[in-house]
Amino acid sequence: MANIDDLVATLAQDAATVKPAPHPFLLCFQWMGAAAIYLALALAISGPRPDLLDRFHHAWFVAEIVALLGVFIVTSLSTALLAFPDLHQKRRLAFAPIAAFTLFLGVLFLAWRADAPPSPLPVHSFECTLSIALMTLLPAAWAFYSLRRFASTHYRLAGSAALLSAFSVGALWLRLHEDTDSIAHLVEWHYLPMLVIGLAGLWLGKVLLKW
Amino acid sequence: MRESLAGDQRAYAALLQETTRLLRPFLAKRLNIASEVDDLMQEILISIHKARHTYDGNRPYKPWVYAIAKFRLQDHLRTHYSDQLRHALDFDELEEYLLEPVTESLMSYESISGEVDKLPDKQAMILRFLHQDGYTAREVAEKTGMTESAVKVAAHRAYKVLRKKLER
Repeated sequence: MANIDDLVATLAQDAATVKPAPHPFLLCFQWMGAAAIYLALALAISGPRPDLLDRFHHAWFVAEIVALLGVFIVTSLSTALLAFPDLHQKRRLAFAPIAAFTLFLGVLFLAWRADAPPSPLPVHSFECTLSIALMTLLPAAWAFYSLRRFASTHYRLAGSAALLSAFSVGALWLRLHEDTDSIAHLVEWHYLPMLVIGLAGLWLGKVLLKW
Repeated sequence: MRESLAGDQRAYAALLQETTRLLRPFLAKRLNIASEVDDLMQEILISIHKARHTYDGNRPYKPWVYAIAKFRLQDHLRTHYSDQLRHALDFDELEEYLLEPVTESLMSYESISGEVDKLPDKQAMILRFLHQDGYTAREVAEKTGMTESAVKVAAHRAYKVLRKKLER
């Protein structure tokens, strides 16, 4: 007990004015703003797909982009909430990515049903996953760097949400850049790797975010 | 907490004392040994100090502090159980060693007393009782409040560690 009293006294002596962390919504907006700039820059450099304007007249393409955007927004928000020990007391919002992914899967399924006759498969395959992964590196590094300044008690989930958020930026970029509409290809080389990334995030969160 | 965040040392000390009072029954209910409760309480207080910038004073304090306490408790229990698993003995092995006389050892205690001091406190204490003071396993058990077989198992583990060290 004496040890605890000593510790309390020591900690109290160290109690300088502390600037509270920003609200998770603000944090999320900051991340999304930075990601939007990054996405715009990447598209400006690599160029959008030639038929992009035309594709925006196709309902399932628009639905897919909106759902992917939803995944990005919700995982960013979840990452921001998971950075706080008590999830900023917004537990339901922190676990909202489950609903966003369910919606995204539903859209993909309906887009696949509507893709008749099926769009031709492109000649390339893993190059897409590789491009998305490379595009993901910078936002992921930034997200982990930001998260380390907080105190996550759900570090595995925070790592997973951060990587998924970063990966969805990469996936959005490639979808707007690459001239491919084969749902089978998209699922296999764009979206299934998301699952692996999510699992890798669980591990990376444990390694990098433990405090 | 708001006053603490503003740098008021007295308010911060009072808050930490109050937090200690709040968390002690929570930890005592989940841990059997009083010293473990104290150790973990210290860890929690340090974690609260490190994470205090994540609390803004606009939401309830208790859920925030309990989230940190639960997190540290889970960490503590995870380490505790993984240590137990690492040091677990097979039943066959155990049977064999429970029959062994633990007070008779091929090594002279004096020659290895330096190594004994480096062992975990409990193991070192048991070896000192057995070999330096000459108590039997049963007497050591009575002195330490352990069971006789627990003394034998602890002694056996200590021998194992010592054997490994001396073989190097």
